[in-house]
Amino acid sequence: MTDTLTLDSAEASRAADGATAEPAREASSIEMQGLHKRFGRDTVALAGVDLTIEAGEFFTLLGPSGCGKTTLLRILAGLEEADDGRLSIGGRDVTEVPPHKRSVNTVFQSYALFPHLSVRENLAFGLKMLGIAPREREARVARIAEFIQLGDLVDRRVDQLSGGQRQRIALARALVNEPDVLLLDEPLSALDAGLRSQLQVELLRVQKRLGMTFVFVTHDQDEAMVMSDRIAVLNGGVIQQVGPPREVYEHPANAFVARFMGHANLYPVSARDGDRLTTPLGVLSAEGAGQGELLLIRPETLDLLPGDQPGENRLPATVGERLYRGSHAEYRLEVGESTLQATVNNRGRRLPEVGDRVTVTVAPEDLVTLSE
Amino acid sequence: MRKRTLKRGLTGFWWFTLAFLYLPLAVVVLFSFNASNSAASFTGFSWRWYHQLMGNEQILSAFANSMVLAIVSSVIALGIGCLIGYGMYRHRHRKLGWLIVLIYLPIVLPDIVFGISEMAFFVQVHRLTGLFQPGLGTMIIAHVTFQIPFVALIVYSRFVGLDPTLFEAAKDLYATPAKRVIHFMLPTIKPALISAFFLSFTLSVDDFVISFFTAGPESATLPIYIWGAIKKGVSPEINAIATLMIGAVAIAAIISLMFSRRRQA
Repeated sequence: MTDTLTLDSAEASRAADGATAEPAREASSIEMQGLHKRFGRDTVALAGVDLTIEAGEFFTLLGPSGCGKTTLLRILAGLEEADDGRLSIGGRDVTEVPPHKRSVNTVFQSYALFPHLSVRENLAFGLKMLGIAPREREARVARIAEFIQLGDLVDRRVDQLSGGQRQRIALARALVNEPDVLLLDEPLSALDAGLRSQLQVELLRVQKRLGMTFVFVTHDQDEAMVMSDRIAVLNGGVIQQVGPPREVYEHPANAFVARFMGHANLYPVSARDGDRLTTPLGVLSAEGAGQGELLLIRPETLDLLPGDQPGENRLPATVGERLYRGSHAEYRLEVGESTLQATVNNRGRRLPEVGDRVTVTVAPEDLVTLSE
Repeated sequence: MRKRTLKRGLTGFWWFTLAFLYLPLAVVVLFSFNASNSAASFTGFSWRWYHQLMGNEQILSAFANSMVLAIVSSVIALGIGCLIGYGMYRHRHRKLGWLIVLIYLPIVLPDIVFGISEMAFFVQVHRLTGLFQPGLGTMIIAHVTFQIPFVALIVYSRFVGLDPTLFEAAKDLYATPAKRVIHFMLPTIKPALISAFFLSFTLSVDDFVISFFTAGPESATLPIYIWGAIKKGVSPEINAIATLMIGAVAIAAIISLMFSRRRQA
């Protein structure tokens, strides 16, 4: 806790009486081994989680509600105790360390700002509890207020703040303690879309500048992809896949991950002849698609040609439904007995209408297979 | 047209209710300033009865007893009720409904039953152990028992109104259990505590029945003194005491209300 925050922006350096930016403090890694958690007799929240989060990573726990992501975050914070397994942060075993003795801070979904304290006192709360002297407390609060660009918000009362402002105060209140790890429990879910994307950018900026390890919980796969260095997708208390956003999106490990990432075009592969896969849509040739028994066709890899134009990896289809979205259009196509979803960019060409006969084409290298 | 008639009717009813509630009090206040000792006609304004009060040692000692009883019992009830309120909050998910009913039973029990029970109990304990000589001590115990449920309820409802993650935020921000109490819980429920204290205070000052059954010869409170004095007829002096009590209770009740308002804000 002796290091100071790195404020490597030009304005912050000037603010810090002309001193040059200090090097980033050592970020901490997180190691989880065999974490189990049960609530009551029947509810399994975590069924054996092994996970390593690298130092300085923006790591996201993604999954539907009840998948265990929040439980996992609360175990990291020490607010929940695992029934079994070990947890270490920065190489130190903290499995049984209570929350007030962990160098970990949380940005709560409800922000949890103390109503009996001013914004400034809220920001200084952690430092005060740590026994930091008032003079240093003030300096650090001022520094974080500058860094998060809180401006005159620090002099307001908590009940005078809007949702977005509360969110930023909650972030500053956690960061001012310079924790080894910052935990964020769906911190943006209560905000409207515009403010949300603005704060996503701000969170990323903060994380990159501080080089701190961030563990972020969300159920929103778009948010996860924008923010994360790596994503862990959870379901039923089990990690389904861990990887960078592109890998999780383009090569989902299983049908659950594929569906959760928004893919609906999954077809069983009934026969396989080298690279030629037999599916309910017809026979398609794939390149490096893997050995899974499910074929995934991402909607944005499809192209629509007018009329019947037979050929390799071309499927005759009828437009069943079209959702016009301006920049692109989403199609539901009927291919024999099956349906296929396609996303087509609006490049000013004619967009096929409902009832039109079209030919769907897909490149062999865009096809992937996965297991159930 | 009919709407306006209805509105006028309701406004009239409101004033009628207010008059019904406050006219008797107004009569007492008015006659406390009566120059003569007639209870029938107001002959002129005078501080006479208030001066006479100040010279009456029985009244002064009854006043002192009332204050000691109200303050000491309220402080004790605040401490115990606060712990019970927090306990109820902490274990609100468990099935403890019957326990809460137990705590609330004294409120719905008729005062006279409660008072007689307390008296019988103290008499028995005194006979067996020599403790609990009837007096201020037994009165304080009796008052604390009926104040606790009110304190517990006010504290409990304050905690229930809080975002539960605040407790976790305090832990997360390095507050040890003791620091959580000092820097988070107590300051957060402070308005509730002030409100509960003044409510307990007014309940104690107001109480006659339970005090009457648990008092000793030396520990008459103002209500008990009034009751004794009134057997000899209503003197204007009693009106003056009553007026002072109305003032004191009104102030305490207003303070209690002010802080319970703030608690909701």
